[in-house]
Amino acid sequence: MAESEIKSYNINFGPQHPAAHGVLRLVLEMSGEVVDRADPHIGLLHRGTEKLIENKTYVQAIGYFDRLDYSSPQNQEHAFALGIEKLMGLEVPVRGQAIRVLYAEIGRLLNHLMNICAFALDVGAMTPMLWSFEHREKLMEFCERACGARMHMHYFRPGGVAFDVPQDLLDDIYTWCPDFLTILDDVETLLTENRIFKQRTVDIGIISAEQCQDWGITGANIRASGVAWDLRKSQPYDGYEKYDFQIPVGKNGDCYDRYIVRMLEMRESVKIIQQAIENMPGGPAKSIDHKVTPPTRGQMKHSMEALIHHFKLYTEGFKVPAGETYTAVEAPKGEFAVYLISDGTNKPYRCKIRAPGFASLQATELLSKGHMLADVVANIGSVDIVFGEIDR
Amino acid sequence: MDQALTELGDYISDTLGDVVIAQDCRLGELCLTVKREGILKILKFLRDDANCQFTTLLDICGVDFPEEDERFEVVYNLLSMTHNQRIRLKLRTDEDTPVASATSLFNAANWWEREAWDMFGIAFDDHPDLRRILTDYGFEGHPLRKDFPLTGYVELRYDDEQKRVVYEPVKLTQEFRSFDFLSPWEGVQRMLPGDEKAEDTDEDAPEKEAS
Repeated sequence: MAESEIKSYNINFGPQHPAAHGVLRLVLEMSGEVVDRADPHIGLLHRGTEKLIENKTYVQAIGYFDRLDYSSPQNQEHAFALGIEKLMGLEVPVRGQAIRVLYAEIGRLLNHLMNICAFALDVGAMTPMLWSFEHREKLMEFCERACGARMHMHYFRPGGVAFDVPQDLLDDIYTWCPDFLTILDDVETLLTENRIFKQRTVDIGIISAEQCQDWGITGANIRASGVAWDLRKSQPYDGYEKYDFQIPVGKNGDCYDRYIVRMLEMRESVKIIQQAIENMPGGPAKSIDHKVTPPTRGQMKHSMEALIHHFKLYTEGFKVPAGETYTAVEAPKGEFAVYLISDGTNKPYRCKIRAPGFASLQATELLSKGHMLADVVANIGSVDIVFGEIDR
Repeated sequence: MDQALTELGDYISDTLGDVVIAQDCRLGELCLTVKREGILKILKFLRDDANCQFTTLLDICGVDFPEEDERFEVVYNLLSMTHNQRIRLKLRTDEDTPVASATSLFNAANWWEREAWDMFGIAFDDHPDLRRILTDYGFEGHPLRKDFPLTGYVELRYDDEQKRVVYEPVKLTQEFRSFDFLSPWEGVQRMLPGDEKAEDTDEDAPEKEAS
């Protein structure tokens, strides 16, 4: 029988695809079932965020940060609020810091739940998605009770958080934690020892620690490759050094390790949430410097200074001294950073958003070369990308 | 911590004195201004030297200062996981002068440089694939420049006669209002507004004091 020559041809893994995790146009050059080259085309969700931020005051700009990584909105706001506070030299009261840590970890849980069940769905398991989304709903209910919005909270402001949390909300979160751990156990029984899941993910998309550093990949992805790097431990912010938690580190750097690292991180996040609630300090939840944080509505209606502060803050906004800062946080997807340049006015001069998904998606070609088409799907799912932050 | 950073900055400036123009350590962040021609040399040094080991290139971005001759500033943010340090490199260029691409040293630079090209028009030499990344396929212009308007020049709509999406110049139904509530009062000034006339009144003393 004559040998047939396999010609390479291009496949468009189009922007509309259930496994493309948003709008990703991936042009694949394949020879048969094996991928030779992968060229991601991004920018289909580009909304001009950085240019719009240059035309808004600092507090108005917080809303843009929610909409970057929409699976864990509050972590992005966190980076921006920390950047502004650094430039202004603003102190956040301890209760504000604790509430921020609490909601940042809730964001981490939201993100990892979304990622693991979307990854499992891409690989073929449908049930974790149904179970996890129930708990995402509960977490979003906690977000709504704090600030009124289920998802895009606009909650982390420079100086602390926008509103204080009532004690019964903290009690409800505390009682929810053990139920959540049982659901995590259930999802683990479905996926962790599953033969089919392991065949789809073990030894797929292996990336070494040196490659991760070369490609700028951070977060759970580099921890799965063996590097114990977590900004919450190495460059702590908002009092993270006071909490007792561990960083799971993987060995092989394949898709399976990334999944396991995320599952373990969720358990550690629950520990942090419990510690934050047990040790929640009293005091104000936002800075009492009313030149930066607005007074409450009650104060505004009774005091002339409060009224003037409220007016000035919501029209002109506060002025941030000239300077620049690169502030990074350990967002669930990796290192999310804001490079903020201020020229002394009430609007940022330049606000560059360093999204972790941008670096992770760049490495998709590295991960997928030589693998088959189905593995490309597993790789994209396991490196945890979302197009809101990539395209901005 | 600032001490360690200043020492690191001094070490790098001493070793690569011909490349580093200025060194600044503010708010706990070290920033080196470098010459455009020396960027690859200093990036390689920062990556390979045992005291530095900045193996992760986190971000390359552009900043536009339209009033200056060399209007673009290219900023590199690096991280050393082994030493737990961050550093920032800045260089200046203008619209016609390309910058050497860092892709030969860090693979991560690829897309960040494409983005700087797309958003500002900063060209990079020896980049393997310098094409637009975030804007639309036939887009003209570089959006993040300060002279590019916020509303852009063209907008899209679906034309039923041509049965496809067409580009048309932007028509705003309501005039673009720029809310700039920046107040002229800065708070307590060191030099009160009338004080610069104080030297003049000393010469014209008789008329002023009479009143």
